[in-house]
Amino acid sequence: MAEITGIYTASHTPVMLNFPDSIPAALKDEIFAAYKAMGDDFMAGKPDALIVLSNDHLHNFFLDNFPAYCIGCAESYESPIEHWLHATRRTFAGDQAFGSYLLKNALEAEFDPSFSMEMVLDHGSLTPLELAGVDPDLPIVPVLINCVQPPMPTMRRSYNLGKFLGQAIANYDGVDRVAILATGGISHDIATPRMGMVNEEFDQTFLAHMESGDVDATIQYATDFVHTAGNGCEEIRMWMAAMGAANGATYERTYYKAVNDWYTGIGIGRFKVS
Amino acid sequence: MANWQEMMPSTRAYLMDKVLYELHHKPDHLEAYNADADAYLARFGLPEELATAIKSNDVAGMYLSGVNPYLLRAHCIGVKIPEAESLAALRSLLDHEDYNDG
Repeated sequence: MAEITGIYTASHTPVMLNFPDSIPAALKDEIFAAYKAMGDDFMAGKPDALIVLSNDHLHNFFLDNFPAYCIGCAESYESPIEHWLHATRRTFAGDQAFGSYLLKNALEAEFDPSFSMEMVLDHGSLTPLELAGVDPDLPIVPVLINCVQPPMPTMRRSYNLGKFLGQAIANYDGVDRVAILATGGISHDIATPRMGMVNEEFDQTFLAHMESGDVDATIQYATDFVHTAGNGCEEIRMWMAAMGAANGATYERTYYKAVNDWYTGIGIGRFKVS
Repeated sequence: MANWQEMMPSTRAYLMDKVLYELHHKPDHLEAYNADADAYLARFGLPEELATAIKSNDVAGMYLSGVNPYLLRAHCIGVKIPEAESLAALRSLLDHEDYNDG
């Protein structure tokens, strides 16, 4: 029976690594410190494994075969896949048995994820892990949600998948302590005319909903207003999944800033699960 | 404006998607494209206006093809279109009356 030691939500963007100096140094330092604080809090829980809820940005998956959900079942994951990303190449340990367990149980619970035994993780997983300073030897299980190519799974389905994951993790005997990092969002536009115009009003309202603990209202707001906050905001499906896994635990933001020159509303927060 | 130009997959967008995907993921494709863009693009059987948009780094033209925005973004960085130029081209398409009201 595994204990969930921490559940975090955090934005990601390649701009943090590619053009970090497009914002004032003091702001960059403040944001990087917020990610580091998240990582320190994560590691303080002494997890044996980390579930990374993220999305592929059309690198491992293309439109010839694009999964709504995919569970990683590999022994290790190289990163990054983007030839243009300014990041040190590294290899994350994978928890093959844990990923396979989640896959089998997801199918039995009538979710139908695809699975992958070989993925090269992109910036969506790499940047928050790198900035958080998470030990690359901590075994991970990536769970990827399609947030980048319509039509996409619903917010509620993603919440329900997270709820399943929380229960499946609790029932797993292979490790003792598990942390969850859900990464993506909040408001941002990728390669649209609105790129660089963060919808802060959406982000503030969304975070307030998350903190209210009203799951149905949060899912409804995400569903009804995501289209005002940019295609990158579709990544709040991972926040929905984290909320499902948190099973009613209170959420609190630990950092938020609308950073137009990074094109992204940078939000970080955690569920008080322990 | 909405988050997406196309809420369903379309063949026209897919033609552009495939070029921008393969260019940055298949071994030697970027080198082949840089060496001879016309010869490289001829492999794909694109409509002429789409091929022209790609080889002339016409970011607004590529966007309007319906291409997946993540592929467009990665392409702009991958072929080193200056960031300010990409942004200005996209911004030129913004209808301010539509901004953030979906």
